[in-house]
Amino acid sequence: MTKAFQKLVEKSKAHLEQIQSKPRVRISIDLSGLAAGALDILNTFKDEVSANKLDVTISEVGGLGLNYAEPLVDIQNPGGPRVFYNNVTPDQVPSLVREHLIEGNPVLSGAMAVETRDPSLDIPTLTELPMMKGQVRIALRNAGHIDPSDILDYIAAGGYNGLNKGLFEMEPSAVQEEVAKSGLRGRGGAAFPTATKWRFLMGSPGPIKYILGNCEEGDPGAFNDKGILEGDPHTLLEGMILAGYATGASNGIVFIRHGHDTPIERTRKAIAQAYANNLLGENILGSDFSFDVEVSLVGESYVSGEETALMESIEGKRAMPRYRPPFPAAYGVWGKPSNINNIKTLAYVPEIVSRGGEWFTTIGTEKSKGTAILCLSGTIERPGMIEVPMGMTIREAVEKLGGGVPGGKPVKLLQTGGPLGGVLRGDKIDIPLDFDAMAAAGAILGSGGIIVGDDTVCAVDLARLLVAFCQYESCGKCFPCRLGTTHLLQILDRICDFKAQPGDLDLMRQLGNDMQVGSLCGHGQLGFNPIKSSIEYFPDEFAAVIEEKRWPTKNYFPDFFMPDRAKRNQQTETFSSLRRA
Amino acid sequence: MTTTLQMVTINIDGKEIQTKTGSMVLEAAIEAGIYIPYLCYHPGMKPFAACRMCVVQEEVEVEVDRDGETVKEKQLRPAAASCTLPVREGMVIRSASDQLRSLQKGIMEMLISEHPHGCLTCHRVDLCGPEDICQRHVSVNDRCVTCPKNERCEFKDTVRFLGMDLNSQLSYEVRTPEIEVFDPFYDRDYNLCIVCGRCVRVCEEIRGDSAITFVERAGKALVGTSKGTSLLESGCEFCGACLDVCPVGALVERKHKWDKAEKIVRSTCSNCSVGCQLNLEVNKREKVIRAIPEINAPANRGQACYMGKFGLEYVNHKDRLKHPLIRRKGQLEKATWDEAIALVAEKFSNTKGTEFASIGSARNTNESAYMLQKFARVVMESNNVDIDSNTRPSLGKVLYDALGYAGSTNPIWDLKHSQCILVVDSNVTEEHNVLAVPIKQASKAGTAKLIVIDSREVELTRYADVWIKPRPSTTLILLAGILKFVIDQGLTDEKFVSQNTLGFDEMTKSLAEFTLENVETVTGVPKKHISDVATMFAGSNASSIVYALDNVETEGQHDQVAAMANLALVTGNIGKPSTGLYALRRGTNEQGATDLGCVPDMLPGYVDVQDASSRAPFEATWDCKLPAKPGLGIKEILKSARDGKIKSLFMLGGGDSYEGEDLLDSLANIDFLVVHDAFLSPAAQQADVVLPATTFADEDGTYTSLERRVQLLNKAILPPNVNAKPAWQLIVDLTKVMDVRGFEFQNTSEVFAEAASFAKDIYGGISHARLIKEAILTLRPDATFPQPTQLLESDRVSKGIQWPCGNDSQPSQEILYSDGFPNGKANLLPLKATTKPAVSSFEKPLVLVPGRILADDDRNVDVERIEFVNTVTRDELIKLHSTDARTLGLKHGDPVEVVTVSQTIQGKVHLDEDTHQGTVTVTQLFGQFATNLQQSEEPDPMAKISGLLIEPVNLKKL
Repeated sequence: MTKAFQKLVEKSKAHLEQIQSKPRVRISIDLSGLAAGALDILNTFKDEVSANKLDVTISEVGGLGLNYAEPLVDIQNPGGPRVFYNNVTPDQVPSLVREHLIEGNPVLSGAMAVETRDPSLDIPTLTELPMMKGQVRIALRNAGHIDPSDILDYIAAGGYNGLNKGLFEMEPSAVQEEVAKSGLRGRGGAAFPTATKWRFLMGSPGPIKYILGNCEEGDPGAFNDKGILEGDPHTLLEGMILAGYATGASNGIVFIRHGHDTPIERTRKAIAQAYANNLLGENILGSDFSFDVEVSLVGESYVSGEETALMESIEGKRAMPRYRPPFPAAYGVWGKPSNINNIKTLAYVPEIVSRGGEWFTTIGTEKSKGTAILCLSGTIERPGMIEVPMGMTIREAVEKLGGGVPGGKPVKLLQTGGPLGGVLRGDKIDIPLDFDAMAAAGAILGSGGIIVGDDTVCAVDLARLLVAFCQYESCGKCFPCRLGTTHLLQILDRICDFKAQPGDLDLMRQLGNDMQVGSLCGHGQLGFNPIKSSIEYFPDEFAAVIEEKRWPTKNYFPDFFMPDRAKRNQQTETFSSLRRA
Repeated sequence: MTTTLQMVTINIDGKEIQTKTGSMVLEAAIEAGIYIPYLCYHPGMKPFAACRMCVVQEEVEVEVDRDGETVKEKQLRPAAASCTLPVREGMVIRSASDQLRSLQKGIMEMLISEHPHGCLTCHRVDLCGPEDICQRHVSVNDRCVTCPKNERCEFKDTVRFLGMDLNSQLSYEVRTPEIEVFDPFYDRDYNLCIVCGRCVRVCEEIRGDSAITFVERAGKALVGTSKGTSLLESGCEFCGACLDVCPVGALVERKHKWDKAEKIVRSTCSNCSVGCQLNLEVNKREKVIRAIPEINAPANRGQACYMGKFGLEYVNHKDRLKHPLIRRKGQLEKATWDEAIALVAEKFSNTKGTEFASIGSARNTNESAYMLQKFARVVMESNNVDIDSNTRPSLGKVLYDALGYAGSTNPIWDLKHSQCILVVDSNVTEEHNVLAVPIKQASKAGTAKLIVIDSREVELTRYADVWIKPRPSTTLILLAGILKFVIDQGLTDEKFVSQNTLGFDEMTKSLAEFTLENVETVTGVPKKHISDVATMFAGSNASSIVYALDNVETEGQHDQVAAMANLALVTGNIGKPSTGLYALRRGTNEQGATDLGCVPDMLPGYVDVQDASSRAPFEATWDCKLPAKPGLGIKEILKSARDGKIKSLFMLGGGDSYEGEDLLDSLANIDFLVVHDAFLSPAAQQADVVLPATTFADEDGTYTSLERRVQLLNKAILPPNVNAKPAWQLIVDLTKVMDVRGFEFQNTSEVFAEAASFAKDIYGGISHARLIKEAILTLRPDATFPQPTQLLESDRVSKGIQWPCGNDSQPSQEILYSDGFPNGKANLLPLKATTKPAVSSFEKPLVLVPGRILADDDRNVDVERIEFVNTVTRDELIKLHSTDARTLGLKHGDPVEVVTVSQTIQGKVHLDEDTHQGTVTVTQLFGQFATNLQQSEEPDPMAKISGLLIEPVNLKKL
């Protein structure tokens, strides 16, 4: 351990001890927490604490992924158990403060779990919770536990160890080899071997090279990249710096969608702190390696998550994909060699470097190593974000961890990997979480979103919803996508208005084929997937709507859904106005 | 840097093709005459890969397992866009498989579903008129015959090529944005747009303007301005490049919008000295209806400007003079050519010698200019001959003295690869527009540092890395300061100076006064800026200087050019690619006219009139005695005329290119004035005899551009009822009547041959025949079926010849002095100037420094629609130094009126400490200028555009 890092570690230990000497309240302020009203809880806690003149650390942490339990608060007195309270309401707060913080008695009625078993309390431990059981948390190891805006908290939890090891004990090529050994594959959707991608960049000359961390994450039903940035932004930074070191890159850009305020804020703060502690900038920790990171924001455009569109966006242009070749490793941002990785991919790197690639291969399947970070939503008992080893079946993830469809009803369909991933019939639920196995079943793991639908969901209407998304989010550059998605939506619209014309299904297939063959980027190439898979798996429902002119299920979206920008902005404003300094 | 172009062989549809490495399959196919449909690709621009129409399949050999045996099998790869598919040696491409055709038809079907298409498949479409009754009940809006691009539409061609049947199940839904018709010069009908993005890309990538962009997204994606504003405020320079690339009828010239071309004639633009090659489209009533810049022309590479695209209407104008006029009893009356010529011949015969003067037009061809000076010298025995635009003869003459040739040293597009471009006192974007294109490209690409020295804010100042704003009339002192700094700091190219130049010490001595301190005091430019610019210029590997002499007082012009030539020489920036000096000549053919002796002191080929031995061959051939005293230049002619010393004046053109106020006053004193002009211009109205002239579109001959390129004019139209003669013809006829020998020319190529025989060193190897012969056949697809408009461009393209070209076998000389200087060494010219400004116009109470830029991002621009025309109605900012404002008792925000001789501007006082004391700065928008041009009642407004003149001004508080 280098002196510089040693100093940081000691400082962080002292910092941790100081925090542990006082009562600590952790409130998960992340997307789902905010949606569930966590800001109210935070404010009420602050009010109560100051009213009672208590010396308490209130930390805004990221989420544990237990979205069903939000707002989630955990309280720990020095020496006492760390107790998690689920679905906290503001009127519960005074009693929690009084009883747990002041009197030191955990409030059993609202408690969901404790961190470590406490014989005096009849509460399960966190890992015993059904949603936590079976999880292997690597990228999410710190989320919900550490204060994401406190670099010392991260270092105290073992953070930047991997960086220290990489910089001072390993050659850049050794870091790359370690990642190669781990078998890590890209988590953005294409599942390309990360080390190979890095090698392309290593081969490109030039003093200026970029590592891009992609958190555009525009998929409905995916929030794990944001989750990582909210819960543990330093793990991404550490991964990026290591990627930069391994590939000889000089700059990093974290690319986040505008409007994701918490991830943006926390990442920016983390970057500032990393600079302040010489973990970024010139001669990191006294080594020869220098690396800079900045945050780049993008407007609301799904396609800007596509790697070349992302580069256009960073350059300040309209986010439209470029053609390839030249590939980003040769001609990327500002024409400089660039490497794009998903946030999740980079978040694995610190642990892989510090624990060795070998260790990573012990988790997962033969060709899909490590864990899958899934976002469960839809009609599911316990929505949230989980990290499970590859190879677990979707059934296990959805039914055991996620609790299945409420009321024990069967899963009718799954929508995986974002809107372009299409739908999967419920009886396919036994396929393992494995890039190749899922591809074989006609689905993609993609960004890790799994939306569960029960028997009330109409496959035709869902297809229309998904196509509407694809259409709205098409950048408008290449003709097959711009026009194809528009026509697909028009046809589905008339089908849903019971005005289908003969041959509409074939017409859609023809359009879909042209889009797949002709489109410039993945958006158009995969844009027909939702319809294709719906028609394949649920032909009866299409027949019902087209021929019998009736809805096959009770539940469909009567008002056609389109993302409404004005409303969303209003909502964001409300969140910000709720926040107090 | 030399790149060796390697060739590769690929096979497309069974045809072997040789092509360059690095090119794309589509480019290779186009070169080889194989047609692959495309809509978004356009030659000269980077591929965009959006339309996906140019898909091809690559045939590859793969090893497959057949019953345990490995066999090689040919397979087709998935479809790929050929515009972005790089060629590889041995590549085998299929471009016409059923699968590809099906995809192409699929895409077209989708496009058709939002594009008016009623006539696309109708067999009658060629016979049908817009108002005919359609038996298919196609509504008017849906008809191709009502589209301005009908039969020029690439979209329609593609439909025909693919043999589309239009029984589509897709629902037909056209967009209905309003047609934009309120901006100058062209209409935008986005109902017809297919969103190929060519216009957006040409504007950004080629022109560097980004005046238009994509708006909205997904199915709604269209083209527009970024904030939905008018083009007046979006930064449009009205160059028309977007029109030239638009494949459909979305963007079209407003004038002659629906006219159909009967023939297309290539010619050289008459509106400035860049030498753009234009394809003039002519309708059946002999009118030039459109000008499409030639994409393979070396001078303009497919680009034109507002003057070339929209400023040629004068050739069709109804006010063209149709017959000669003779003044009888004070009135100009219709006359025959014979009468007029007889009268002129008689009068001229009586006023030979110094009482006679002649003024040529900058738009005259080389042939006419040569004939005019020959007529003046041989017949009229007078050296009083000049070109109306030639008010700053130093522009080229100093180059002659310093380097050996009076012309720009390098070709225009060399600027693109220059690493440092110094632009001095010139408004390139407005006056030599296409020359600004490579400058802007280099600046935008970041490969060149752009330094602009100008008191005025012009368009290039917005691109400049450094904009130096000296006090008016002090540019020379600034340049001398830069030169001195370069020499003092040892930033010179010593080897180049010692091997190639003379007079270094003397020149250095003449700079003693120009210390940074002195220069700063006089010019108002901080020392640091001067040293920075000097270091930047001398430090780059290839620096170029682009200069005019806008607003430079006559006294300082010689030294200013000398300072720049010296700067280029001492830094070794001469004779190499992407270096050199660009003299921006104001007049269209000022270069050629000067080359061929249409100036008072030089005979054709830069032969000094005072040198008896050089004169001898002329006298021998022409069989006469030539006047040995240099004649009067344009300014002196007019001055002498005012003083009554000129009795008769022969004037070609209306003096449109003359920059000065004294023209008409001077002409009033002439006893016998002959004006040969296409219109009854103010000068012609004062004439005793008016002779109708042809325009560039109805004559042939040659122009020599500012890059020394001799290019052909081709007669495009024969205006009905216009009985006009080109100047050379007029002189032939006139001399016949005057009974003078030696003018019996049948055509321009004979005239040119004689001119070239005198200007042997530079024109000797050039002839009309050679210019025609050396045209390069640009192969485009074999358009047997059907003929897509994309292919119409295929033709023989003349590249012109850049002089010096001494004999038939000498090739065009792109870069001067690459093999040394004609006189052995170049001369470093000592400066006579002192640090006192030549004429301190800024010592007058106040001078106006006008500026004009394309877009003003920092200010709100009010655009109002006045009678269907967008008009800028904003309060101008009248920028003043606070000291001056105090003296005048003005406060920030006070409404004031700026009154000069030529204009009145109202606006609000804006205190600005960057403004030099004694100057009033007003920067207006180009958009308003464009509106004014479009609305002008003049038959030929673009010919009379005066530069941005710095003039004395009165400020009135309102």
